Amino acid sequence: MMETLIESTSASGIGRSRPRTDAASKLTGRAAFVADSPVAGLLHGRLVTCPYAHARILSIDRASALALPGVHAVLVWEDLPIKAGSGRAAEPLAREEVVFAGQPVALVLADTEALAEDGAENVFVDYEPLEPVMDVRRAIELESPLARVGHLKEESDVEMHGAAGGGTDAIGGAPVSANVVDRKVFSAGNAEQALAGSAAVVSGSFRIPWVHQAYMEPQVAMAWPEPDGGLAVRSSTQAVFWVRQELAQLFALPLTKVRVQAGTLGGGFGGKLRLIEPLVASAALAVGRPVQVAFTRTEDFAAANPCPSLEFELQLGADADGRFTALAGRVLIDCGAFTDSAPAALAGARVSGPYHFDCWQIESVGVRTNRFGAGAYRGPTSTQSTFAVESLVDELAARLEVDPFELRLRNAPDPGALRIDGVPWTKIGFRETLQAIRTHPLWEHRHELPENEGVGLALGMFPGAKQGAGAVCRMDSDGGLTVISGYVDMTGTDTSMATIAAEVFGISAEMVRVTAGDTSSAPHAGVSGGSMVTYCLGSAVAVAARDAREQVLRVAAQELEIDPADLEIVEGQVRPLGSPDRGIPLSTIGAKVTGFGPYAPVEGHGSSVPPELAPSVAAALSHVRVDPDTGEVELLHHVAAQDCGRAINPALVEGQMRGGAAQSIGFALYEDLNHNEEGQLLAWSFMTYAIARSESLPTIETILVEVPSPFGPLGARGIGESAIAPGAAAVANAVAAATGLRFGTLPITPRRLWHALTAVPTEA
Amino acid sequence: VIPARVDYLRPTSIGEALEALADGDAKVLAGGHSLVPMMKLRLARPMLLVDIGRLELRGISESGGVLTIGALTTYDQLLRTDGIGLPDALRESAAAVGDVQVRNMGTVGGSVAHGDPASDVTASLIALGASLRLRSAAGVRECPADEFFVGLFTTVLRQQEILVEIDLPLLGPGEGSAYRSVDDAASGYPLAGAAARVRLDDGRVAECAVGLTGAEATPRRLREVEQALLEVGSGPVEPCVGAALAKLELTRGEGDSEYRRQLTVVAVTRAFQTARARAVEGET
Repeated sequence: MMETLIESTSASGIGRSRPRTDAASKLTGRAAFVADSPVAGLLHGRLVTCPYAHARILSIDRASALALPGVHAVLVWEDLPIKAGSGRAAEPLAREEVVFAGQPVALVLADTEALAEDGAENVFVDYEPLEPVMDVRRAIELESPLARVGHLKEESDVEMHGAAGGGTDAIGGAPVSANVVDRKVFSAGNAEQALAGSAAVVSGSFRIPWVHQAYMEPQVAMAWPEPDGGLAVRSSTQAVFWVRQELAQLFALPLTKVRVQAGTLGGGFGGKLRLIEPLVASAALAVGRPVQVAFTRTEDFAAANPCPSLEFELQLGADADGRFTALAGRVLIDCGAFTDSAPAALAGARVSGPYHFDCWQIESVGVRTNRFGAGAYRGPTSTQSTFAVESLVDELAARLEVDPFELRLRNAPDPGALRIDGVPWTKIGFRETLQAIRTHPLWEHRHELPENEGVGLALGMFPGAKQGAGAVCRMDSDGGLTVISGYVDMTGTDTSMATIAAEVFGISAEMVRVTAGDTSSAPHAGVSGGSMVTYCLGSAVAVAARDAREQVLRVAAQELEIDPADLEIVEGQVRPLGSPDRGIPLSTIGAKVTGFGPYAPVEGHGSSVPPELAPSVAAALSHVRVDPDTGEVELLHHVAAQDCGRAINPALVEGQMRGGAAQSIGFALYEDLNHNEEGQLLAWSFMTYAIARSESLPTIETILVEVPSPFGPLGARGIGESAIAPGAAAVANAVAAATGLRFGTLPITPRRLWHALTAVPTEA
Repeated sequence: VIPARVDYLRPTSIGEALEALADGDAKVLAGGHSLVPMMKLRLARPMLLVDIGRLELRGISESGGVLTIGALTTYDQLLRTDGIGLPDALRESAAAVGDVQVRNMGTVGGSVAHGDPASDVTASLIALGASLRLRSAAGVRECPADEFFVGLFTTVLRQQEILVEIDLPLLGPGEGSAYRSVDDAASGYPLAGAAARVRLDDGRVAECAVGLTGAEATPRRLREVEQALLEVGSGPVEPCVGAALAKLELTRGEGDSEYRRQLTVVAVTRAFQTARARAVEGET
């Protein structure tokens, strides 16, 4: 366990708020992103996209584009050197069939972006429009038209969030359309019977639309052929080794011939997982030159991999004491046109929220439609599930006349009990997190509010994931350390890794640099996602730093002719215990091990695979005021409480909680990546796609709860994803408290709220 | 993000600018916050940009109860005006525009000349009785703000004509004004924005002007509401506005004219009530 590995007191600053090491460069605009790198001979690519949601390509006329000055090539699918692979990656340009509006069908390469855009305007594509499939409920019916007429083999992967697990494959019953691409059933006990015997049963339908991750930096990658016949890629990605794996497969190259480097990440939230690299790498290999493609914002809205729409039909029962008897129902997941990463198993498993149920029967159905392709978004499906379940829990509390906190507390899972995906619960900070806000003045005074105001409560959870992680800690000539890993810093984790390494090694965090290596130089790494970086990599860094420390002590022992066990690292020196004046400065050792002398370089290695998950529970209280004249919802106050296990850098944890709350509030009130019936995207820029913005958010109050996890570094839990879970539900419950109206459809826009308020004078 | 090829000219005199506009595919560039976004998407493709940004058309002055605003005055400059009694409606509508960056760069004249159906300040200029000074090689003509807008992104401004100044009367004792809007959550543009100017005479509304933006294809003066408001007395304002607007054909909106009308009623009501309250303050 890591507690024993990491000594508790030192100059590292662990447990104290410290600024991010990348803050200054990002705030002053000096950080260089992928599209900022000058490369000799670079060709810029611009997309030719299809205006139809579903169509067959009849012909592509490239002659006029190729005649333009500065245009070097116009690539279509047949030109790409793709030899293997499946799914969206193997189809970076549409083959015969276009399956969503905005899908790239050709790529124009030119000396500048503007010339490439001129070229793109002069590529003429003939289409035969096909019937688009846009409504998931209709799509599952046997007689529905198909969202994909031709058949291309696809595979699904759940690596990152594979902790979901469980479920059984297709059940019996009515045959369904081939648009149903994934189907899982989670069941235990006899839910039907349990509901029938319950003291109270509440039910509801919930629909959450597609939502975009809304990262600031659009999808971008650059690729070039290497002199040795290999391929190099620099991209805005959360997972360099995933990209390498995929590209090696696509082009039938050995892994060692593909080198992937992550640029400074301008936001990811799950959306930067190998979407654009197959296209850019294919183009670079096809023309034998460096190629860069950066999506415009409009393309990023139309052709990326946003968060899928979910529909829930749920029933929740409880006995007279408020113990949940059963959860039953169905989840429909609109996977869009490509089903690589939105499997039914994930969504079904999240439906339970953080609660224990005696029985459950959840059918989770993934449906193909003619919308982009579903991707991952921070805490996949947890915000939507929490909204559905917490709406029902509030209803149930009202029905049973039980205090909403009390009802939730009665249904905390005990360690060892099974989640609905069959994974056992571990010790989680369920009660502690709820207790942390139970006496908050916002809640205690919620019945004394003026008209049209209300306070809502919600509790959410994301289990996180785990994967192996490796790290190297190298001593530098100044006596400090460089931590090398293959993980991209998405959330300030570099700062945390520096702190962990410093803590273990015995120096201040300012003496530690953190580098994300490319796939040829870094230890193998997973994805920056799944709430895994601090939880998994943190432990590997601790092991590596301890290894480095031991190596340094051995060097000092030789120099001082003292047993290493009698040495310590304090105040930038290695000192014999009890003889502080005989110390050697670390910088002296650094110079020796980096110079030409008798000593080998000091390079500590570490790896770790946590044996179990460390779910983080998050709760939210939201205080809203509704304007009945306009339907506008104003957030007056929002409180986020979360079990982070142990806050390695409280400021970063709070930042994650605030960001998660803002995105969750976006689900509740603003975000809707909607298409019309013809499959045309209506929200194609930030002028038409609303998100929560600083001026519409109150200060988000954060309350850190620390229930240490047994396996995280210093007890830390992965916290990035749980932060987004409860906010939307809390806002919806607050709106219900303010108006008496319970919304099944998000977002609760002013227009919807005003219509609901004017339409129904009676109870909704 | 990638505009089509365009020539660029930055004249040093208004004469030179007007001459350049003889090219029928030339467009005037002021603060660039309306035209450039359209060029980025290639929705606007002028062959020549005539950047008037360096011309002496910036600043605010007052003379004989008339405020003169240079067309290139930014929203931010407007909001920082000291010592001149900028009417509240104009100040509030300028503050409602975009965000800090837009207010730093965007110009009052640019917004007006662009003819955006949802420009905040246009409602105020209409309600405040502004007059627009349009200059061409032939000379200068004046156009009342409420006669300037013709349709969606269409105004009476001619190709070889530049909006140079805006005049508006300062408010006197017993007068008050206000701008109120309900904004789209994504764009920040008003779904309905209303400016009202009220003159009280002995506590009674003697004069009332209302400008509306956002709700229709073009900003305009709401005379049908003004008449009703002159007679509202101490009665409730919202039903009065609602009744006056019931017959209004809303020409803009995404298939939900009922909601758009409601927002229009709300914006007009709030602007009028605030303007009237301010007039009362100014009277005493």
